[in-house]
Order: sequence, then structure tokens, then C-alpha cells
Amino acid sequence: MRKLVDLAPLQVRILYRQFLLRVVDLEALSMQADIPRFLGQFASVLIFISLIGAVGLLTSENATATAEGYLSFVWRGEQALISGMMLVVGLIAVISWDSTFPDRRDVMVLSPLPVAAHTILLAKIAASSALLGLAIVTLNFATGLAWPLLIGSHHGSILGFFQAFAAYWFTMIAASIFVYGSVLTVQGFTALLLPRRIFLRLSAILQIVAFGLVLGAYFLRPSITTPAAMATPENQLVLAWSPSFWFFGLFNQLNGSLPVALGWLARRGWIALAVVVCGATASLLLCYVRTMKKTVEEPDLVPGARGWHWTPRFGSALQTAIVLFSLRSLTRSRQHRVIFAFYLAGVFGFALSSLRSALSTTGQPPLNADFLIATFMMMTLAVAGLRSVFALPISLTANWIWRLTQLRPSEKYVAATRKSLLLLAVVPVWFISALLSVSFKPLHAVAAHLAVLAVVGWIFVELSLIGLYKVPFTCSYLPGKVHVQVMLWVFLFLLLILAMSTAELELPSLNNPVRYICLMAILGIGALGAWAFNRHRAKSAVLYFEELPPELITTLGLVWIQSSSSQLGKTGGSPRLPTQMS
Amino acid sequence: MLELRRVSKHFSGIPAVDDVSFTARAGEVTGYLGPNGSGKSTTMKMITGLIEMTSGHIFFEGELIQDDLIAYKRRMGYVPEEPYLYNHLSGVEYLTMVAQLRELPAKQSSDCIDGLLSLLSLYDDRHASISGYSKGMRQKVLIAAALMHNPELVLLDEPFSGLDVSSALVLRSLILELAARGKVVLFSSHELDTVERVCSRVVILHRGKIVADDSIERLRSLMELPTLEAIFSQLAVEQDTASMARQIADLIHA
Repeated sequence: MRKLVDLAPLQVRILYRQFLLRVVDLEALSMQADIPRFLGQFASVLIFISLIGAVGLLTSENATATAEGYLSFVWRGEQALISGMMLVVGLIAVISWDSTFPDRRDVMVLSPLPVAAHTILLAKIAASSALLGLAIVTLNFATGLAWPLLIGSHHGSILGFFQAFAAYWFTMIAASIFVYGSVLTVQGFTALLLPRRIFLRLSAILQIVAFGLVLGAYFLRPSITTPAAMATPENQLVLAWSPSFWFFGLFNQLNGSLPVALGWLARRGWIALAVVVCGATASLLLCYVRTMKKTVEEPDLVPGARGWHWTPRFGSALQTAIVLFSLRSLTRSRQHRVIFAFYLAGVFGFALSSLRSALSTTGQPPLNADFLIATFMMMTLAVAGLRSVFALPISLTANWIWRLTQLRPSEKYVAATRKSLLLLAVVPVWFISALLSVSFKPLHAVAAHLAVLAVVGWIFVELSLIGLYKVPFTCSYLPGKVHVQVMLWVFLFLLLILAMSTAELELPSLNNPVRYICLMAILGIGALGAWAFNRHRAKSAVLYFEELPPELITTLGLVWIQSSSSQLGKTGGSPRLPTQMS
Repeated sequence: MLELRRVSKHFSGIPAVDDVSFTARAGEVTGYLGPNGSGKSTTMKMITGLIEMTSGHIFFEGELIQDDLIAYKRRMGYVPEEPYLYNHLSGVEYLTMVAQLRELPAKQSSDCIDGLLSLLSLYDDRHASISGYSKGMRQKVLIAAALMHNPELVLLDEPFSGLDVSSALVLRSLILELAARGKVVLFSSHELDTVERVCSRVVILHRGKIVADDSIERLRSLMELPTLEAIFSQLAVEQDTASMARQIADLIHA
């Protein structure tokens, strides 16, 4: 990759490095400004997923004894791999939203310099491609070898392996280009057709819609894994409008394993790829010719929505100020929205999985452990996500206003932060869970679980408030504190264990009033205890706006000896040795 | 009355403000002048309580500000040197947030914000994001935020920065009006012409130390110089400005 970059003209090379830094948004993803380190961590997460996937595929192959079973297994695996790739690329496209197009900063900084528009375009494409390429290679690091080996061994020839290998990698690249290109096409034509001020407003909404589409397409994807199911009339609409099935068809066509009846799926794949490549190329070229001029001519002043501006109250003036500030920061800052979206991906994933399992069952199924686990996971991820995003500042230079107007004790600020967490994380997840639980029975058990979920949400909020003596989005951030490549897996593992244990405890108690009262009493005492603890600590806490690195040198607490020695001269006594070292 | 007594601030042992003492009285505008890096903004930030002093005392109305910093903050309004605002908020959202943080009654603050925005010609853009505001518009937001709670002490650090001529004239009159209504106004600026028109007296700072503290009239007669600019040049400007300009032109081969 480095050699390839070195071949490019100097201007492209310089801009490529700058744009790569912005594509991955290092500040947003809690890393030091060190591209190799960040990319290494990003790659290690994807390689880990790939290894787990490969092990899963290789170990489950023996379960398929019959030819029909083998085909179903292969098709399920192919669909899972392709849709997984499309999910990851879709999330990358959402994260690096706008990064391929020139923004006002690019135009204002680069336009006065002797840099051609096509140089900027080339550097932007190179930066986006580098990230995309890394994602494709690392996510298929193990499965890209394991899957062709598995299929090739069934063919019994080395040629079969090479054909499957080539088909696999081509399909993954094509599916990735399709997803990323679709996002570029939509963005590009929206930017071209709309006035810039309207586009800026719409862009944030489009990003959220794209995020929902990517997740929905993955989690609501039906499992159609047999030729009979593929031929069923009721599945034709799903097959016709699900891009992952088009690329499934494409893979099998290239691999020579596609039934003739499904040739139309592969054709759709080819057409979609061609349309998206043409659309993305055209929109990028047009944007660089037209939008760069428009960007200078039209100000970035986003017009205010006309008419009614309602500002709701959330308790005291301070609580209202902090809740609204948090809500606006979360919804209007791309950086914060994107990080929170990572956690929301988990929340929506669990929500959609629950919805899918409920829809696939006829009638009202009884409340089960899977649903309880899903709701606990949703609640924890939402609170943890919001807590993580709160730690990232939105504008350090503007924080002076909080210091200047700090007219109340710290506990009031902690209470306002608590309210923000409850309103922006716990309440929405609780409502989503309540909506999802409508499909389960009996009603009293559902109501009882929702009560438990509310208290559990409160406990999570109190736990996340421990030591959080700062206003959301205002404190400076110490990069590199979160070791995502390790901590993510530890967190998810512990979370899953916790959710399973809680569900195991809760499920029997939902139909046993005495056990349920005991459970609620324990949870209630836990929540109240955590609340009282935080309240007590907050009374003596000092709000902080600067995250300081830990001392590299540990003092031995010998300072007082010096002062004792200096007093010695005055008093004539002998110094005592320190009994306690800090 | 605002009084600074032997105030110093050291950064890593280097004095930014060194043993500064002066008084700003109610009913008059005190100018606080000095070249870049002389310690003006550092002094302003110490007066607001944003940064701590290394040594010295600051009194407002005879009381140490540190004794009850919260009560002091309620009585003080501050326009900082740089227009640092939360860009993701609109003008009206920012001002409403400041009003809430200052515990102003909702109805009163809403009326006051609307009035200030109208008078400062920001009303039509009040719902637009601050990220799209010009420097002058941001400055107006800062001025509105500093004054909406009717402070007794008004600290203005380069308040004319980015303002158009008409807005600058309004602000100049506003400063005089505030002083006439009994406020303590401490005003820092590089625009010596404005300072000369607005301020009753000036404090000139050079390399962290006070080199002059008197009324402009007295300084003129004492130093036998016709303008504040001439006084300032003599006290605080070290370089030969014409020679420096020639050197720059030579350096770029102009």
C-alpha cells in the first residue's frame, strides 16, 4: 500500500494522508493521533471476527450428512458472510459520512492553493479506498481462505478451490463497492440537487436513515437456504429487493454452482454493481466540478426551522439546560452521533432480532429468556454508549461559559447528568422494549418485566455516574484510555453473562409473586443504595473540565519530612519517620 | 469598585502578570491596554475567576472575590477575547442555555433575549446554527450573553472584534451608557481611538507590569504627547515599526 501511495504525485500523497486522518476521525474514536495504531486496532477487531467465523464454519460442516443438508449449510454460510461484509461496509460508510466529498474547510483551505480539483478527488478516493480495503481484507482474513477450502474440498479438485477463492474475494469486493457506492451516489446527487444549506440539514437525517437501513437489512434478512424456499412465490419479493441475495447469486454464478432458475439473482447483482459504480463516479465528478464552487458561494449558515420552536422543560433550569445541551450535542454533532451509533447498532440489533423472532411465531409466544436477555443488553448498551459519548468534549474552547456560570453545588450538576442519562438512554430503550413486548404473553409477566427493566436501567445509570463529576460533552478527553481491541470483547462478554444471569433469575419470578417481590426489593435497594452513594460523593466533589493524565512518577509521601526538617530548626525536636506512604 | 492588589500570575515560573494593582470605579470606564502578550487577557481571566492567581488579591465592592465566588459570578458579565461558542447550538438556544445556567426567570430571560437579539440585528438569524455566524454575529451573541443578567461589573476583552461600523458605534455608546448607569466597566482593546473616546482613565500594561495608570488627560499633559496612541507607543512599543515593515518587505523580496 505504501509503495502504491509513493507512486502518486506529491500533492495527492500529502492530501491522502490528511484525508485518511479525517476519514477515520481519530479524535472521534478515542485514539491518539496515530493512524497505524488506530488502523491496527480496527483491523484486529475485524480479524478476530473473521477467525471466530472461520472456526464456526469449519466446525459446523460435519453436521451436514445429506446433499440437501450440505447445500442448505453452504447457502446459509454464504448469505451470512456476504451480509456480514455488507453490514461492516455499511457501518463504515455511515461513520465516514461526507468524508469523500469536499467540505467547506477543504474548499476554503485548498482553493487558494495551486491544487487541482481532480487532485483533491483522487486523494479523497484513495483515503476512502484504503479504509475500505483494510476492512475487506481483515474481515475476510480467515473466512476468505476457510470458505474456499471448505467448498473446494467438496469439489475434490485444486481448481475448485481457486475458482471458489476468486469468486469469494470478487463477490466481497463487489458487495462492498455496491454498499459504499450506493451511499456515495445518494449523498452526491442530494448535494447536487439541493441548495447547500438544505443539504447540510438533510445530510444528518440521511445518515441516520442509512444507518437504520444498513442495520435493518442485516437483522431483518430472512433465511432462505434451500432451492425450494428460493422458488416459493412469497419469497420472490424479498429476493428481488435484497441486495445480499443478488451478491449471493453472483458468487454462485462465478463459482459455477448457481442453479439456472436463480440466474436472475446474479444478473441483478451485476446490474446493481454497474449502476452504483456509474452513479458514484458521476456524482463524485459532478460534485467536484459543481459543488466546490457552490460551497464557496453559499454560506454554511443552516437555516432555522420556521414557525414553532418549543423548548420543553426537564425539571429545574439547570437540568433543562444540561438535558437540552446533551440532546442537541448528541443529535447535531457528527462525531458524537457516529460513536453513539456504534452502541445503537447493538441496541437495534437486539431489538430487530426480538421483533424477527416474534414475527416468525404464530400467535402470542410466552415471554422467554431470549427476550429478557435482549432487553437487558439493549438497556446496558444504550447507557454505556451514552456514558462513553458524554466523555467526549464537543468544544473545549467554549467551556468557559460553564465555569463562569457555575452558580450551584456539584451535586446539582450530577443530578442533571443523571436525568440526561435516564431521559436519553433508559426511557427510549424502555419504550422500545414495551413496544416489542406487546407480541408476548401473558400481560402481567410483560408488565412485571418492564418494571424490572426500568429499575435495572436506573442501576446502570447510577453505576455509570460513579466518578462522573463533569458536565456531559465538556471535559477534555485523554486519548488512548480506551483500549477498544481488548476492552470491547471483555465488556461484551461480561455483559452477556450478566444479562443471562439476570434473565435466569427473573424468568421464574415473573409468575411467582413472592419471588418477584423479593427480586424487586433487592433491585430497588441496589438502585437506592447506588443513588445515595452517588449523591453523597457528589456533595463533596468538584466539577472538572480537564482530564489529567495519571502521574508518571509516584511520590513516596516524603514531602512532610522536608517540612518537619525545616520545623526542626525552629523547634529543636527530631523528625519522625513517615508511617504512611502515598 | 473593582480593586486588584499585587496580583501576579506565573506560567511554569514565567511571570505573565507581575505585581499588578489598580482600581476600576463604578460610573467610569477603565481602559486596560497593552501590546500582544502583555498579560491583559490573563488579568481578565483572573478577574473572572477562570484562572487562579499565583499571588495577590482581587476585591469587588470591598470583598475578596474568592470568599464567595458564586455570588460574585452572579454580579459579573464577561465578553472574552475570542468568540468561543458552542457552534452546534443556534443563537437563541445558546442564550437560553446561559440564562438557565444563570438561573434567570424563564419569561423575563426570554423577553430579554428576544429584545437583545432584535437590537443587535440577530433576530432573523436567531434559529440558525452558530457555526454559520460571522465573527461579528458571534461577538454580538457574546455581548448579549454577558449583559442579559444586568451585571454590576462588566468585563470587555476586545469587544469590538469583528463588529461592523454601525454595531461598533452602538457598542461604544452602550459602554458609556452602562458606566453612566453606575456599572463598573473594565475595557480592554487595541483600538486606541475608541479607548480615547470611551475611557475615563487607562491602565497600560507592558510585559506583565503596569507602566501607566491615570486619566488620559493627565497622561497627555504629563508626557506632553497629543494622543493616546503616542503615549502608548512611547510606553509599550519597543520596535521601530517602519524599520520592521521594511525588513518584512525585504524578506519576501517584495
